Amino acid sequence: MASVALSEAEKVYIVHGVQEDLRVDGRGCEDYRSIEVETDVVSNTSGSARVKLGHTDILVGVKAEMGTPKLEKPNEGYLEFFVDCSANATPEFEGRGGDDLGTEIANTLYRIFNNKSSVDLKSLCISPREHCWILYVDVLLLECGGNLFDAISIAVKAALFNTRIPKVRVLEDEEGSKDIELFDDPYDCIRLCVENVPCIVTLCKIGYRHVVDATLQEEACSLASLLVSVTSTGVVTCMRKVGKGSLDPESIFEMMETGKRVGKVLHTSLQSVLHKEESLGPKRQKVGFLG
Amino acid sequence: MAGLDLLSDQGYRVDGRRAGELRKIQARMGVFAQADGSAYIEQGNTKALAVVYGPHEIRGSRARALPDRALVNCQYSSATFSTGERKRRPHGDRKSCEMGLQLRQTFEAAILTQLHPRSQIDIYVQVLQADGGTYAACVNAATLAVLDAGIPMRDFVCACSAGFVDGTALADLSHVEEAAGGPQLALALLPASGQIALLEMDARLHEDHLERVLEAAARAARDVHTLLDHVVRQHVCEASLLLGD
Amino acid sequence: MLKSKTFLKKTRAGGVMKIVREHYLRDDIGCGATGCAACGRAHEGPALELQPQDPASSLCPRPHYLLPDTNVLLHQIDVLEDPAIRNVIVLQTVLQEVRNRSAPVYKRIRDVTNNHEKHFYTFTNEHHRETYVEQEQGENANDRNDRAIRVAAKWYNEHLKKMSAENQLEVIFITNDRKNKEKAIEEGIPAFTCEEYIKSLTANPELIDRLACLSEEGNEIESGKVIFSEHLPLSKLQQGIKSGTYLQGTFRASRENYLEATVWVHGDAEENKEIILQGLKNLNRAIHEDIVAVELFPKSQWVAPSSVVLHDEGQDEDDVEKEEERETILKTAVNEKMLKPTGRVVGIIKRNWRPYCGMLSKSDIKESRRHLFTPADKRIPRIRIETRQASALEGRRIIVAIDGWPRNSRYPNGHFVKNLGDAGDKETETEVLLLEHDVPHQPFSQAVLSFLPKMPWSITEKDMKYREDLRHLCVCSVDPPGCTDIDDALHCRELENGNLEVGVHIADVSHFIRPGNALDQESARRGTTVYLCEKRIDMVPELLSSNLCSLRCNVDRLAFSCIWEMSHNAEILKTRFTKSVINSKASLTYAEAQMRIDSATINDDTTTSLRGLNKLAKILKKQRIEKGALTLSSPEVRFHMDSETHDPIDLQTKELRETNSMVEEFMLLANISVAKKIHEEFSEHALLRKHPAPPPSNYEILVKAAKSKNLEIRTDTAKSLADSLDQAESPTFPYLNTLLRILATRCMMQAVYFCSGMDNDFHHYGLASPIYTHFTSPIRRYADVIVHRLLAVAIGADSTYPELTDKHKLADLCKNLNFRHKMAQYAQRASVAFHTQLFFKSKGIVSEEGYILFVRKNAIVVLIPKYGLEGTVFFEEKDKPKPWLVYDDEIPSLKIEDTVFHIFDKVKVRIMLDSSNLQHQKIRMSLVEPQIPGISTDISNMDINEPERKKKKLQK
Repeated sequence: MASVALSEAEKVYIVHGVQEDLRVDGRGCEDYRSIEVETDVVSNTSGSARVKLGHTDILVGVKAEMGTPKLEKPNEGYLEFFVDCSANATPEFEGRGGDDLGTEIANTLYRIFNNKSSVDLKSLCISPREHCWILYVDVLLLECGGNLFDAISIAVKAALFNTRIPKVRVLEDEEGSKDIELFDDPYDCIRLCVENVPCIVTLCKIGYRHVVDATLQEEACSLASLLVSVTSTGVVTCMRKVGKGSLDPESIFEMMETGKRVGKVLHTSLQSVLHKEESLGPKRQKVGFLG
Repeated sequence: MAGLDLLSDQGYRVDGRRAGELRKIQARMGVFAQADGSAYIEQGNTKALAVVYGPHEIRGSRARALPDRALVNCQYSSATFSTGERKRRPHGDRKSCEMGLQLRQTFEAAILTQLHPRSQIDIYVQVLQADGGTYAACVNAATLAVLDAGIPMRDFVCACSAGFVDGTALADLSHVEEAAGGPQLALALLPASGQIALLEMDARLHEDHLERVLEAAARAARDVHTLLDHVVRQHVCEASLLLGD
Repeated sequence: MLKSKTFLKKTRAGGVMKIVREHYLRDDIGCGATGCAACGRAHEGPALELQPQDPASSLCPRPHYLLPDTNVLLHQIDVLEDPAIRNVIVLQTVLQEVRNRSAPVYKRIRDVTNNHEKHFYTFTNEHHRETYVEQEQGENANDRNDRAIRVAAKWYNEHLKKMSAENQLEVIFITNDRKNKEKAIEEGIPAFTCEEYIKSLTANPELIDRLACLSEEGNEIESGKVIFSEHLPLSKLQQGIKSGTYLQGTFRASRENYLEATVWVHGDAEENKEIILQGLKNLNRAIHEDIVAVELFPKSQWVAPSSVVLHDEGQDEDDVEKEEERETILKTAVNEKMLKPTGRVVGIIKRNWRPYCGMLSKSDIKESRRHLFTPADKRIPRIRIETRQASALEGRRIIVAIDGWPRNSRYPNGHFVKNLGDAGDKETETEVLLLEHDVPHQPFSQAVLSFLPKMPWSITEKDMKYREDLRHLCVCSVDPPGCTDIDDALHCRELENGNLEVGVHIADVSHFIRPGNALDQESARRGTTVYLCEKRIDMVPELLSSNLCSLRCNVDRLAFSCIWEMSHNAEILKTRFTKSVINSKASLTYAEAQMRIDSATINDDTTTSLRGLNKLAKILKKQRIEKGALTLSSPEVRFHMDSETHDPIDLQTKELRETNSMVEEFMLLANISVAKKIHEEFSEHALLRKHPAPPPSNYEILVKAAKSKNLEIRTDTAKSLADSLDQAESPTFPYLNTLLRILATRCMMQAVYFCSGMDNDFHHYGLASPIYTHFTSPIRRYADVIVHRLLAVAIGADSTYPELTDKHKLADLCKNLNFRHKMAQYAQRASVAFHTQLFFKSKGIVSEEGYILFVRKNAIVVLIPKYGLEGTVFFEEKDKPKPWLVYDDEIPSLKIEDTVFHIFDKVKVRIMLDSSNLQHQKIRMSLVEPQIPGISTDISNMDINEPERKKKKLQK
């Protein structure tokens, strides 16, 4: 569920634990829960990934569709984000209940991808001003067990890594009319370089310390958190304070440093998992929701 | 050249099945920990998740509570990436609402609602990938989820679609077969009694053929039942093993 | 059952979409060999023989099955259809490719596969666990399919080895692709090209002729210069059509001029509907009925349709210069107004070739294997074929298929398919005209005959359940003499209330032909009975057409009756329909019936009934004509046949008696009543018949012609046309009215069947009826069978079935029926023409009076009323000096030297059979009167009595 109600005693227990660098589930403050990542789970998408972080369960599907480039960027394609907070996660999301949260997350995703280095948008252009690829990145929130942003950003990165865009050729005849032709070989496709795609590290201020990858219970004890989007080289591309409480500048710097440090490790392990999975090739037994 | 031959002279369908054969069905119960019941099903390339919350207090307006039975609340949602062409919104469109209503009718007929008066049972289904027969997959997934939640039912609800091509009834239509525009029938069956929980048909079909198509759908639904029953038994076995330790 | 998936990507509406389909692999697909233990399951349908008794092949002495690849199937289907070729494995991969590339070949393959004697087996290799292959990286779809075929061939060889070591069965891979063959041999699969294999069949040398000659791309350039410009590839054409640079349309070659054709542009660009193409290079290898892309010329190069009649007579194939000379003939100065959009063919979108009947023109060069073939259809160009049996085929009617038309060749290339028999032989000629008009005429199959009622047949109680017993009524039938398929009978009696009861009783064919069975399907396919001069091609087997359904006298017959209560003024008071049993009291001919009505002495029941009918019919006819129904005319002739030789010995124009029109009147009334009823009951899927009003431009020639005789024909409504035709009399020229009516008939549109749910214009122009259908001849027209079924359902006498209420299926059926009716009509005309020739062959040369029906640029079309014969008198002949011709389109008239010919002018012509061209024996007419020096023939000089046959011998 998106939030839980905790008694005062429970809160005190969690806060004190964090101060001792010992969290309820036995982790230290900078430890992530174990993350399960699997790509290519939805076969009719261009790329997909499922990420399970504790009880948080995210499914991302990327669909490449052809469209026209934006006027201000005639030789680039672009990404569109949509986050669906499914009623599966909690009955509160039924109907339009999840829309606000969905929009908030989508906007955050737009912001962290809003810089040139994250994805090479030029490679998505087919013919300037006329045709380009639009990548629809659709996030489906299936279960919610805290630390949504981190899980979603990991899933998005994994899905983009998995994305394969068909190669097309633009044919032009004497009259200047253009036609799109598909390559005959289905193996011939464009892949995105996700080296610079950042991940979000959310740092939750609990008491005087901050923790990464907070559970729902821990989130309930936190007054404010800081979202830091970090690339694999440790560059911070975006930062945002969320939550109803306030943070002093000093702790923000402290948290940013932690974010960078944790983020780099996160990237490295994600990268290795993705490559390992890829090396298994198409014969890999897919697990999906059956495992 | 005209479209595909949906049924070859040798009796094979586009994907290699024979007329009465189901697609490969795989299912799992208890996918999520937080919900009261959950299940996942794959029927070929159609993949659906179902989650059940309840029975619990009526959410929202108390006036909706029913004095003699539980309120069954269903929402059908289909992921934006589930279809060939991307969907703009996952739910709230006319088709999703209609699906939700159909599911509700189906499960009101199967769940022993009178055991939980003044309460509510939520069934949420989420289609992850659509390749024909989404209604059937949703019903089958929801049945497993309701069972997983331990909510008493009269019987399994097993659903399957059927179509009609060149004088032959085809069971469990895939998207290509549905898109061909022939008549299609969706059937939800309570297999033990043979009662029909929901029957719906689109497109014209001559009365003379109805019986055969219905028969094909019912036979397929019974096959589905055998498979689901197996899944449930397996799940219970595993669960009891875990509990036993 | 094993499962796996493949992923396909497809484009749709310009976009690219990823489509995922499941693909199941099975291990229960059998190899098709009878008695194979490994695939123990019994195969339904055709299967391969365990021990194939194939014709001996010098290349592969062991018993073997053949496994052809896609191109072999596509191009060598004629060889594969030969009864000598059996035990062929058709892979699903191959079949699918064929299906995508050629619908006609696909249909032929399916037919062959369904023929149990051919032992063709379709192996579903794409779903077989061991023969499925996945597209590999760097491999295109074609290569994958080639590999899939080789994998299947290899699998078969290994599988058969396992089956029986001693049997030594082999699967021979047949491919014309050199690389593919090499690869197959490398992989240990015995492979040959189609040519190699066929040539190795020493016992069947005739098969070689049936091989399609496919020149490989490389060979095309080597010989001769390029005559034609290249066809653009399909993708370019489609782009061009989209952008409007090119137009897509159906190519229609001219029957009269081989250098001219029109293209009917598809779509709704009204003003450019028809485009004219002139000259070989602009026709650019398009063949009649092809779907082509055309480029429009600028207005300055537009031409008018030429009225010249030109036939391709060049014997030598490469005299292209001469052609150009002839082409200039076409381009004469014409009125600006006459110019029509002109263009040239830039590419072919779809070929619509079929096998063509025709004759061989043997090459002059001795020992040559290449010969020209002249199709019977003048719209088809001559075809070059290779054959060793030229001498044997000379003078025979043969069938040839086109294989291709290289750019450097004056004629298309083709191959021999079948020998039909001697030209001029009656049987052969009938076969030719049936084939050329696509009339299904094979004997009914066992499957069809199995649905006939068992003899002796009698009416059972069950039959009577929804039937009225009308055996007591005095019913009789009136038909032409010798009619054995009597589908209608009539009665009329006075009721107690003073009114008259009139009944039309139609054979209840739908009682015997039950929906969906083989008999029904075959009848639906045939669509109509085809009447040739001495032969009838039945739509339903004879047992039904001439016995059980034929309403003969003095036997109990099932009928569908339409019964009216009428006042003495022929006002319909009540209409009812019922299935019934009748017992006809008399089967009369028109003449007999007429005689009975006329003779005062006969007063029996039948005659009274006939008189009553006749009286009512006259009133009905008057009413109908007042409403604007047209009385048109076409010269109809009957042949008197020699009872022994079946040669025509005399011609006679059909005589029309009152009784003809009496029967007709009641049939029309029944049809209209039924049409109303079924449309009322089934507004969406009633099968009706409509006759659209012709566009005003159609009447131009009629109006012009009448004007030249100072008569006015008004064409604004059917009524005014009928009235003005009635008034168009000339005291000095009594035949003029008939001529005008003949001409008016030619202006009409074709009446067609349609499904009421698919159209909203129901009007029947000719009959001036708002609604019409066909109900009265179910024995010889399939449309009537459907109408019977609809009516039976409407009155609750029979149950419905799904296809009956499916308007799309009904519309498809109408399409076929309309096509069959048109073809039947053409075949009938061709048969009359052939018998006319036979008649004149025996009669020798005669001179007759006739009237000019049309005036052309270099010819006049003359109608001889005595024989109902129409022929063309040419004023230009090859070896004669060209006369001075002036053609005026406005009047229309043709001035030759000093004589002017107008439409309807009386002329005298000499008629003889011209056998100089054995293929197109034709009636030749030449002018006798008025005399024009140097043009008209002087009879006195001619030896009239010399029989035609001798002359022919002399020429040889």
